[in-house]
Amino acid sequence: MNKFDEESVKSLLERNFITENQFNEIKAYRSLNIFSLNAELKLFLYLSVLMFTSGIGILIYQNIDTIGHIAILSILLIAIVVCFFYCFKHSKGFQKNETIFENPVIEYLVLAGSILSCIFMGYLQFQYKPFGEHYGLATLVPTIFSFFVAYYFDNRSVLSIAITGLAAYIGISVTPQDLVNNDFHTTQNLSYSAIALGGLLVLWTIYSSRIALKTHFNFIYLTFALHIISIAAISNLLDSYDLTWVIFAAVLALSSFYFYKISYELKSISLYVFMIIYAYIGVNIVLVKFLNFIEFFDFWELFILILPAYFIGSIVLFIKLIKKFNKEKL
Amino acid sequence: MVHDTKLLEDLALLEEANSLLNAGFINKEQFNSIKKELPDFKQNSILVQIGFFFLGVFLYSSICCAISLLGIDGSEVFWKICFYIFTIIGITGAEFLAKEKYYQHGLDDAFIVGTILNFGIAVGITSDGYELVIAIFVALISFLMYRRYLYTPAMLIFCCAFTAVLFYGLFEFGEIGKTILPFVAMLTSLGFYFFSKKAIKDLKEKYYYNGLLLINSFCLILFYLSCNYLVVRELSVMLLDNEIRPGEDIPFAFFFWSFTAIVPLVYLYQAIKIHDRIMLWISFLAIAFSIFTIRTYHSVLPIEIALALGGVALFAVAYLSIQKLKYKETGLTFKPDRINNSNAINAEALIVASTFGMKPEVKPQNSPMEFGGGGFSGGGSDGSF
Repeated sequence: MNKFDEESVKSLLERNFITENQFNEIKAYRSLNIFSLNAELKLFLYLSVLMFTSGIGILIYQNIDTIGHIAILSILLIAIVVCFFYCFKHSKGFQKNETIFENPVIEYLVLAGSILSCIFMGYLQFQYKPFGEHYGLATLVPTIFSFFVAYYFDNRSVLSIAITGLAAYIGISVTPQDLVNNDFHTTQNLSYSAIALGGLLVLWTIYSSRIALKTHFNFIYLTFALHIISIAAISNLLDSYDLTWVIFAAVLALSSFYFYKISYELKSISLYVFMIIYAYIGVNIVLVKFLNFIEFFDFWELFILILPAYFIGSIVLFIKLIKKFNKEKL
Repeated sequence: MVHDTKLLEDLALLEEANSLLNAGFINKEQFNSIKKELPDFKQNSILVQIGFFFLGVFLYSSICCAISLLGIDGSEVFWKICFYIFTIIGITGAEFLAKEKYYQHGLDDAFIVGTILNFGIAVGITSDGYELVIAIFVALISFLMYRRYLYTPAMLIFCCAFTAVLFYGLFEFGEIGKTILPFVAMLTSLGFYFFSKKAIKDLKEKYYYNGLLLINSFCLILFYLSCNYLVVRELSVMLLDNEIRPGEDIPFAFFFWSFTAIVPLVYLYQAIKIHDRIMLWISFLAIAFSIFTIRTYHSVLPIEIALALGGVALFAVAYLSIQKLKYKETGLTFKPDRINNSNAINAEALIVASTFGMKPEVKPQNSPMEFGGGGFSGGGSDGSF
């Protein structure tokens, strides 16, 4: 407990910012001397799920020959059934809006269950090939399962697994650390499908807002959409020398405009900031292309001397943008 | 101190009002009217701050580039003084921004950190890379920067530089210095811990609170690390060229082992007793590091079984604690605190996606965890949790 907090509250009272009543209420609450371990214990639950599933994953990987496939699969299946049995027993069933479990442990059991199910299905496909050579189907089934779990139990973490699965189905990797490593520039089709996927995610948020289905998921969908579209567009801007980059510049401009609007609507500063960053990168690339075109770099000394002025200009612009956003937010 | 102390005090009021708003003690209109009443710094939330930090770095380095372009003629002299010039530019920028009431904005951070960095390089060039001198000067300038701009991260740099001064200073004494290093570090951190604790207690100006708190936490970490068995053993191999043959051990091994085992538990107990959240987190990290230390030298279980069992044990601990604390209304509890309630649900979802996300087109080589069209890298084959 910070001794200055009390002082601050007192001076808020003295300057008539808060009423006497509020002051007493706050004082009464502070005197309970609450030290909440809520976040810490939840984190422990979360870590324990991560550790357990990783351990099991490695264990299976190493002992594949000695344990036997059937044994592994049945152990996995038992664990999954136990997890979901417990979850179904305690859940209130499907609800269209945000639901919160009374027991926070359930949330993590749901997560453990879905990860184990995905491992189970992956293992099954690797060993017995129930989907034959239809590898796409083998990705799609766990994805659909994850979507179902995410919507039924209202779980954001499982939802993001499902989205990565959907992206994997069309051939891109959207886990945060791999997003920039996709081969967008060598295979342009991949970029088109990435942008299409982003567009689909956006359309889905619009549709689900209309039918009021889990609107709090929209933020996650939009975050994925923004990053997928922008990174696909930017990496093509960087690499293509023929005129296709104009298309991608247009895509980036459009998506930036859309996310500009939507971030105001959701009052989400993180979407807003990332939109600005991607747009700024895009503008700079186009600018460099233009300077290159008029062969400005022959005067590179002049370029370096102008650079500070350019940065000051952009800083002023950004300060204005952020100020405007903060004003709207109030 | 370049900032207006009145403004800094109002800033603390505003922060308090913000946490009261989140706790639901005051409503939005009331908060907005408070915000309007109190004059404010030009300040940003953390994400925007990072963005502006990078912009500031671009600006600072582009100015430095432009200057070098004008001054460069290949001569030795310019190379020797250019970083001092950059330092002066940094100070000018920081001073300007502070006068314009930029505080925790991002731009000011870039200039302050840049100044410290450039000054360090400049001293390094002048002194031909003499570590002790560099550490002393960096400690000096970062402390001055803290005092002038009340920039808390500069305090962190000061703490690190000060530790470096201690280390390199002891190296000057040769063998003996290196041998007593752990004990000196331990006693120093202990001394500064109680010093900063007392300073916080007697503190009148609340804007110095964060800086002192940082020293306090830094001392806790340094104290633990200074006599941790793993750290001492690896350092003694590195610095003293002691080769430790199988069956042998470092001197005072028993002391270091018991230190490694006991200190985290003391932290944990103390943190829960005096309701100190930072200490609690340090104790968690220290416990994790102690387990790592023990596993490094006395590994009983292979990593995967340890992970799975550890997961189960952690789950049990968390579950039992929740059951026990669930219905408590005062003191230690599981109920979310109305005032200090941080919510990171969306961040959590992203972490899950990054550890367990599905990846496409991984050929089934020899890993059973991946399958043709879409490998599910569920196991996350690195065990570095």
